[in-house]
Amino acid sequence: MTLLAHAQQPGTKEARPAAPVLTVEEVEKHYGSIHALKGVSLAIERGEIVALLGPNGAGKTTLVSIIAGILRPDRGSVWVEKTNVLSTGSLARRRLGFAPQETGVYPTLRVEENLRFFGELSGLRGKGLTRRVGEVAEAFGLTNRMHRPARTLSGGERRGLHVAMTLMHRPPLLVLDEPTTGVDVENRARLLAIIRSLASDGHGVCYSTHYLNEVEQLGASAAILNEGHLVGYGTLRSLMADHGHYAVDLEFEGAPPKLKHRVSTLRESTLHVPTDCSPATEVAAILAELGPAVERLKSLELVQPNLESVFTALTGQRAGLDGARQSQDGSSHE
Amino acid sequence: MSSLAIAVNDLRVLRRDSIPMLMLIVMPLIVMPFVKAAFHLTMQAEGVEGTNGAEQAVPGMQVMFGFYLASQVSFGFYREHAWATWDRLRASPASASAILLGKLVVPLFEAAVQFIVLFGLGGLLLQLHVRGSWVQLPIVAGAFSLCLVALGLAVTAACRTVLQVNAIINISALLFACLGGALVPGSLLPHWATVLSPLVPSYWAMTGFRRAILGESGGELVPILVLLGFAAIFALIAAWRLRFDQQKTGFA
Repeated sequence: MTLLAHAQQPGTKEARPAAPVLTVEEVEKHYGSIHALKGVSLAIERGEIVALLGPNGAGKTTLVSIIAGILRPDRGSVWVEKTNVLSTGSLARRRLGFAPQETGVYPTLRVEENLRFFGELSGLRGKGLTRRVGEVAEAFGLTNRMHRPARTLSGGERRGLHVAMTLMHRPPLLVLDEPTTGVDVENRARLLAIIRSLASDGHGVCYSTHYLNEVEQLGASAAILNEGHLVGYGTLRSLMADHGHYAVDLEFEGAPPKLKHRVSTLRESTLHVPTDCSPATEVAAILAELGPAVERLKSLELVQPNLESVFTALTGQRAGLDGARQSQDGSSHE
Repeated sequence: MSSLAIAVNDLRVLRRDSIPMLMLIVMPLIVMPFVKAAFHLTMQAEGVEGTNGAEQAVPGMQVMFGFYLASQVSFGFYREHAWATWDRLRASPASASAILLGKLVVPLFEAAVQFIVLFGLGGLLLQLHVRGSWVQLPIVAGAFSLCLVALGLAVTAACRTVLQVNAIINISALLFACLGGALVPGSLLPHWATVLSPLVPSYWAMTGFRRAILGESGGELVPILVLLGFAAIFALIAAWRLRFDQQKTGFA
């Protein structure tokens, strides 16, 4: 792919800068009395994809906006390579491409004009700009749509254009806030492939998402935010080793019973029972504890440690659910 | 260079949807022939000889409908919010001042087109005869445009929704046109209104145009300087209130 022809390759001498492509240090942000970010620090190296995960309201978009330089933190610092985003914003923004959560394109302008504008903003001109517009459009499957107004694109195509506009100036850091929201399967697969390609070409990617399966598809590290705290940060392997657990899911006819001797959580008619050891050894004990309620048991599933169980362990919520998790004692947690 | 890119992009947007220009150009052109005869009578009553009413109708409508230039400035910002491109612009390499500068180029271009078309067609179709200085006309128009652009920025800064902007500009356009002698000649205004007139920029625009068209003597520079003063005041209000990170609600 020629999309990132000028990117530095990881592993080469040039690709070993002293500083990571993104460094976030002890960032804090308040909105009035709401403490949205509480001392968040992370770093992204060239060639690395870091997925920002967390329930709604965890602080993902706030963090992404601070990294992109459109929101000032109350405390802390953000560096793109060796450039401070807060003190030298314009210079730093030359080094990053930002696709906000909401699709932002000029609907009355043609696809080609949307791409051209963001190239022009970054100083591209003439044949170089025209060539770059063609490269990016091809990568996103928009070549046959170049002369159509953006408003006439499908939702997925518009989302693709929205992300494509961030790549016009070949930024070493990409900041993508939920880029696949509302995107169909084909366009989502294309977008994920492009992001993987970007990373393999040496770009750092900060990728906020609600879809945990995308993290595995991207081969990304994960940074899990909850109530403004960075509660988990690392590779999938390390996160699962530290926070993953086996579990037994028991689905009941009607309301699940309460377990006296085990921690469990309710998910509608399913009882989720995490265990520290292999669930097979726990099943018999759980069934015995159920007593007469075992007759209402509809199904039983042994759950392997995965990112979802890590997410649940760290945030107390299931990924992809906006609502609260209800605990066994009936209280709820947002 | 970012300012240029933003200006060119706004020009593309205007080219794809030129309807907003109607407010600035077509509406005054529609009204001018209707009010010309009435203005002829009032100018005769004032004792101004050798006029046909175009001397008041053309600048009067330029001043009244020129206020929609302030809307154009404001809509330029609210459109970015409505299309969710505002945060993208802010996250681009363009600095805040470059964005601001770039967003003001197209409204100033529209003002120039409005002036050329209205005074050009005013001369051709309504027999507008300039007895004073043709050179002074664009200078007055330029100062008035700067004033309106700054007003547009100030209103953008002060409002949270595009509906607020629309209401404020519409009310201002009508009120200032009346007080300034654009809709009704100054000689026909009630006494209380003549006291208030110098407080609005349209009065000084009309005074400047009138002196240039009729060749009236007495301080040709004064209206221009006062208009620039208004522009400075509006710009200061904008600088005080404008926050790039404020979320605004535009038509989606």
